[in-house]
Amino acid sequence: MHDAVMTNHTAAKAPTLYGVVAEYDTEQKLLEASRQVRDAGYTRWDTHTPYPVHGLDEAMGNPQPVLPFVVFGAGLTGTLVALGLQTFTNAIDYQFVVSGKPLVSLPANIPIVFELTVLFSALTAFGGMLAFNGLPMLYHPLFNLPRFARATADRFFIAIEAADPKYDVKNTRKLLSATNPSALEDCYDPQDGKIPFAFYVPGVIAACFALIPPAIVYKMRNTRSPDPKIHLVLDMDFQNKYKAQSSSAFFADGKTSRPQVGGTVARGQLHDANEHLHTGKIDGKWATTFPFEVTEERMKRGQERFGIYCAACHGYSGKGDGMVARRADQLMADKKESDWVAPTNLNNESVAKQTHGELYNTATHGIRNMAGYASQISDEDRWNIILYVRALQRSNNAREKDVPPEELAKLTAQEFTITNGPGLHQRPEATPAAAPAK
Amino acid sequence: MSAHTVDSSSLTETDVRLSATTSKGMGIAAAAGVVGLIAAFALGGAQGDKWKSFLLAYHTAYIYFISLSLGALFFVIIQHLVKAGWSVVVRRLAEIIAANIPLMALLFLPTAIFAFQAPYDLFIWLDLEKQKTDHLIHAKHAYLNQGFFIVRLLIYFGAWSALSWFFLSTSLKQDQSGDPKLTLLMKNVSAPAILVFGLTITFFAFDMLMSLNPHWFSTIFGVCFFAGSAMGFFALLALFARRVQKGGQLKNVVTPEHYHDIGKLLFAFVFFWGYVNFSQFMLIWYANIPEETIYYQHRAVGGWFAIGMLLLFGHFLIPFVGLLSRYAKRIPQILCFWGVWLLIAHYFDILYLVKPNFEMNGERYVSLGLLDIACLLGIGGLYVANLLRMAAKHPLVPVKDPRLDESLAFHNI
Repeated sequence: MHDAVMTNHTAAKAPTLYGVVAEYDTEQKLLEASRQVRDAGYTRWDTHTPYPVHGLDEAMGNPQPVLPFVVFGAGLTGTLVALGLQTFTNAIDYQFVVSGKPLVSLPANIPIVFELTVLFSALTAFGGMLAFNGLPMLYHPLFNLPRFARATADRFFIAIEAADPKYDVKNTRKLLSATNPSALEDCYDPQDGKIPFAFYVPGVIAACFALIPPAIVYKMRNTRSPDPKIHLVLDMDFQNKYKAQSSSAFFADGKTSRPQVGGTVARGQLHDANEHLHTGKIDGKWATTFPFEVTEERMKRGQERFGIYCAACHGYSGKGDGMVARRADQLMADKKESDWVAPTNLNNESVAKQTHGELYNTATHGIRNMAGYASQISDEDRWNIILYVRALQRSNNAREKDVPPEELAKLTAQEFTITNGPGLHQRPEATPAAAPAK
Repeated sequence: MSAHTVDSSSLTETDVRLSATTSKGMGIAAAAGVVGLIAAFALGGAQGDKWKSFLLAYHTAYIYFISLSLGALFFVIIQHLVKAGWSVVVRRLAEIIAANIPLMALLFLPTAIFAFQAPYDLFIWLDLEKQKTDHLIHAKHAYLNQGFFIVRLLIYFGAWSALSWFFLSTSLKQDQSGDPKLTLLMKNVSAPAILVFGLTITFFAFDMLMSLNPHWFSTIFGVCFFAGSAMGFFALLALFARRVQKGGQLKNVVTPEHYHDIGKLLFAFVFFWGYVNFSQFMLIWYANIPEETIYYQHRAVGGWFAIGMLLLFGHFLIPFVGLLSRYAKRIPQILCFWGVWLLIAHYFDILYLVKPNFEMNGERYVSLGLLDIACLLGIGGLYVANLLRMAAKHPLVPVKDPRLDESLAFHNI
């Protein structure tokens, strides 16, 4: 046996006896022999077969494996880790509402819980099997026997270790030879089961190199650098296009963003001479009429557009009780917000007395905290909305004479109960769970 | 490994023929069945709700028992399809359970009589008025109408009766001749048979269970029903085999190795049932679309929520842990304990599928009482009696099956 590193110790010492090895040519003989060895009380011995032999565990008297319980524990660990991971990341560390579901949503968590349970179980079963079998085993004395190569082909082996308390040089051999083996020989271990020193060197070197990635990560996390980040995977990080705020080597002023080309009008921005339609003014004075014929269709369109753009703050009735306003009121009551000006009630005298043109101007350019909607809503649609707002104002100040006779008849025939809703800036009660301080 | 493995040539008549004591059970079961049915009709009529409670109770019990036979048919077809060797010793028992389908076809008559007339309490889409006025029922009326429904029922019962009769009778023929060509024949038929089975059980579930709320649908519904049926069957198979062994038959024929495999399949379908039902639930829960969530809304109130939790723990989580260990599956007493447990859980599953779709007296509440017991007793009694009748007539294992020796010598690792 030649070593890369030979020391005086290995050269001088005689090889130790590992044990005695018996070889069989059928599994039945192996099974029978195993029962004999088991019944004789040996504990440090093993069998080696080319394929799993049914009944061999029982014949050897092998104890029940611990692995199933370890796997069960690992699976349970996986379940708890998954639940903990999802709860911590989504409900504690960075609370994040996904799809309107509660922060801790068990049904949504289940796929990951299931997956980690299976993953931990499977990896533990695999790793545990290797560990309990002492694998990977770099060296085993039995490989010194040339005949042992047939253990993976067509022969079955029993090896009883000399370290077994019941081992006796003569009696153990006698027991095995009585079981009708095709071969019986002693196995010697020149290595004493020790791993040669040379094997440790690459291991140490590899361990040193393995420290480098975590060291890099630590440095990156704790230092700043003016350099751009390293793109390990380029993806589409560098593209042949100009980004709005970047500098340009092409244009004289060095900017990528260019002003509108002189003498041109962007699509959809060409305003005809209709001052009334586009500005709400007629000859510089606020218009008191609509720039088109008022029709049912326009009213419906206005209602639809109002519902889309305006009702969020002003409410569907225009009273200023939209969802945004109600939420803000609640936040104010809970002292989580201190800075809120309520949307105007469109039925107020101050709004009702304005001209159509002034209202149109407000929708176009905004007023106080309200932004202008010129970029979102076309000129015509803004007028349609104003038309609808007028209808809302009228409906909120309606009298009996305004109701058509058939409708009036229907209404007077029915009975109504009047309930008070939360609208009209009645400051809501602070929610019980809200903390007083922000 | 058992020291006394049996060889197919050493099987005796006492081994494979049902004993007289077990046959006596047939008479008791039949009597219980008749008494149960009479009681069911009496109680149902006495409710005064135009047979609505009766229909619900009877339909639940009916679906429960036919699902067991469907699970059996699935098992028989699959065992032939994959050329399984381990299962031969229990396959005759499964063939007998599957052969109960013609009886179940007959027992559909009470449902048919009461459900196919006004006020159409069970299958509300039968109401022609609703087909005209209800938007969704109208959209589905090409499928959900009485004529097509009856045609489909005839196809289901026809196909299943034909298949179960084919597999049982061919297997019985092989008892006489031992001809291996019959095994090949059954294998060849099993391939198209499993396709037919898959389609028919899916649409059966749609017709009998999903249409109870015609506004709702779920594409995985057929799979959920199938999973429960297969699970119920394996529970029944373990109990049937053990009952037969207690009567003195199949003593060394059905070994702990076979119980182990039945237990493995039972465990697998317990998990599979949980898996597909959770799939259905999670998708509906996540999308939160009212058209779909109505199904779980009905099952989220009061008593039905409790039943749902009972199913989650009693039908899934607890039996899962209970059947994990190999010893639970190898010791017949423990396996049969879980068998009984799961047969009860399977009934609650069917209950959960049927009853929450309906309001009783304007409310949805869990109603479970004498009427349900009477229906279970009635249908169940006749079901068990027919099982025992067929078991008494024939050998309990396919005595000349070419794979019988392999099955008798079967060992799990």
